[in-house]
Amino acid sequence: MRIFKNLYQYRELLKTSVKKEVRGKYKNSFLGVIWSFLNPLLQLGVYALVFPLIIKSNETNYTVFLCCALIPWNFFATAVNRSSFTMVENSNILKKVYFPREILPISVVTSEAVNFIISTVIIIGFVLGFGLSITKYALLYPLILLVQYTLLIGIAFIVSSLVVYIRDLQHFIGVFIQLMFYATPIAYNAKVIPENYQWIMRFNPMATIISGFRDIFYYQHMPDLQALFTLFCIGLALCCVGYALFSKLQKGFAEQL
Amino acid sequence: MKKEQNSIVVENVCKSFNVYLDKSNTIKESLLSLFKRNRKEKRQVLDDISLTISKGEAVALIGVNGSGKSTLLKLMTKIIYPNKGRVITNGKLTSLLELGAGFHPDFSGRENIYFNASIFGLSRKEIDARLNDIIEFSELGEYIDNPVRTYSSGMYMRLAFSVAINVDAEILLVDEILAVGDQHFQEKCLNKMKELRSQGKTMVFVSHSMGQVKQLCDRAIWLHEGHIKEDGNVNEVVEHYLKETA
Repeated sequence: MRIFKNLYQYRELLKTSVKKEVRGKYKNSFLGVIWSFLNPLLQLGVYALVFPLIIKSNETNYTVFLCCALIPWNFFATAVNRSSFTMVENSNILKKVYFPREILPISVVTSEAVNFIISTVIIIGFVLGFGLSITKYALLYPLILLVQYTLLIGIAFIVSSLVVYIRDLQHFIGVFIQLMFYATPIAYNAKVIPENYQWIMRFNPMATIISGFRDIFYYQHMPDLQALFTLFCIGLALCCVGYALFSKLQKGFAEQL
Repeated sequence: MKKEQNSIVVENVCKSFNVYLDKSNTIKESLLSLFKRNRKEKRQVLDDISLTISKGEAVALIGVNGSGKSTLLKLMTKIIYPNKGRVITNGKLTSLLELGAGFHPDFSGRENIYFNASIFGLSRKEIDARLNDIIEFSELGEYIDNPVRTYSSGMYMRLAFSVAINVDAEILLVDEILAVGDQHFQEKCLNKMKELRSQGKTMVFVSHSMGQVKQLCDRAIWLHEGHIKEDGNVNEVVEHYLKETA
């Protein structure tokens, strides 16, 4: 419960650091905030060019199909990656001032969530641009976002605190995310995976989330609500475990960094 | 009820640091060091320290370098935690361990006031209300909207001190920072701290300037090699301390 009291008391710090991270990311670049659109667009362009050449896909609209998955995937990948750096990046403050340390991973995930919400414009643009329409299922967007956010907070607690003690983890996480990219149905449809590998789809939490976003924007039907709810519960459990671990490890942060 | 009277209670606190002669930062190094003897030394910085500071007291921590003053201060702020014993603090706490920690060089002085004050746990409204006081106290004038990286070290310190002193903390922990700044500003800081003391704020003050210590505090704690050597009236303790170190 103390975490909520802390977060409320330090809400201004949370707000300013989220703002700083959203705005500061492109502060010194010529095109500024435009990059938050340009980056995923260019990435999408590369994938949309390459993947159809190597994977046979019978999706009617591969670019939209890819877009609905790639944007939420980027949210996941950058949030996990950046939460592994956040303590080291802020070691300067951590050693000098007291403030609730959980602010740092939470503000990383939150700022990436804000970025994701902004880049959802791209998804909507592609959906409409390719002649599809936005249906009532799009109303489930906040729900799936909440599931992903909860999951990420849990992961960020664990990752950000462990990295302080084991710096190697940073590199492992980079590789692991790359591996996960291919183990998640982003560039392909989960149905094309052979039967004996289907367990990967069941145990990969991102598969559920990606399918959810794809269901509401691309296929435009009801997502698997039961799977999403289960994942939400797992996410909550992960937050509790993660926070417990974080509170234990944070006592040594100033000495370890 | 008795607890309420105490601002800081330190109970049987021990703190030691592992000093790694070659710290293993990677798994490879940690695995290797499993086989060879890990080259580290345990350095006991504080050994079974107990003290109580009541509300409204102004206490100085004195002692030679390496006697554990700064470590004790860091324990009070909860930046580090004791190996044994516990530290309890009552009330909002501000520390000035190092001025301007967390200043962002590319942001203006004004933006940094918001950021720095929010680290101390103030809300937007509370900062808005104090903004003018902070700027006025810092005497930065028109420079307040320039990026902090263009500041001189004196300006930097003035801004940082102004923020810290205006956050209305009930407990103020100060680690030897008044050495910076010109005579005029030092004087001003001392006066401000005297004013805060008369308002009933609790203060813990680490300094090597015995003049400032005597001016500001009524009680002094002399730390020596991790133990409390003497604790009592500021004039007596300082006198004994000076006699021994001279």
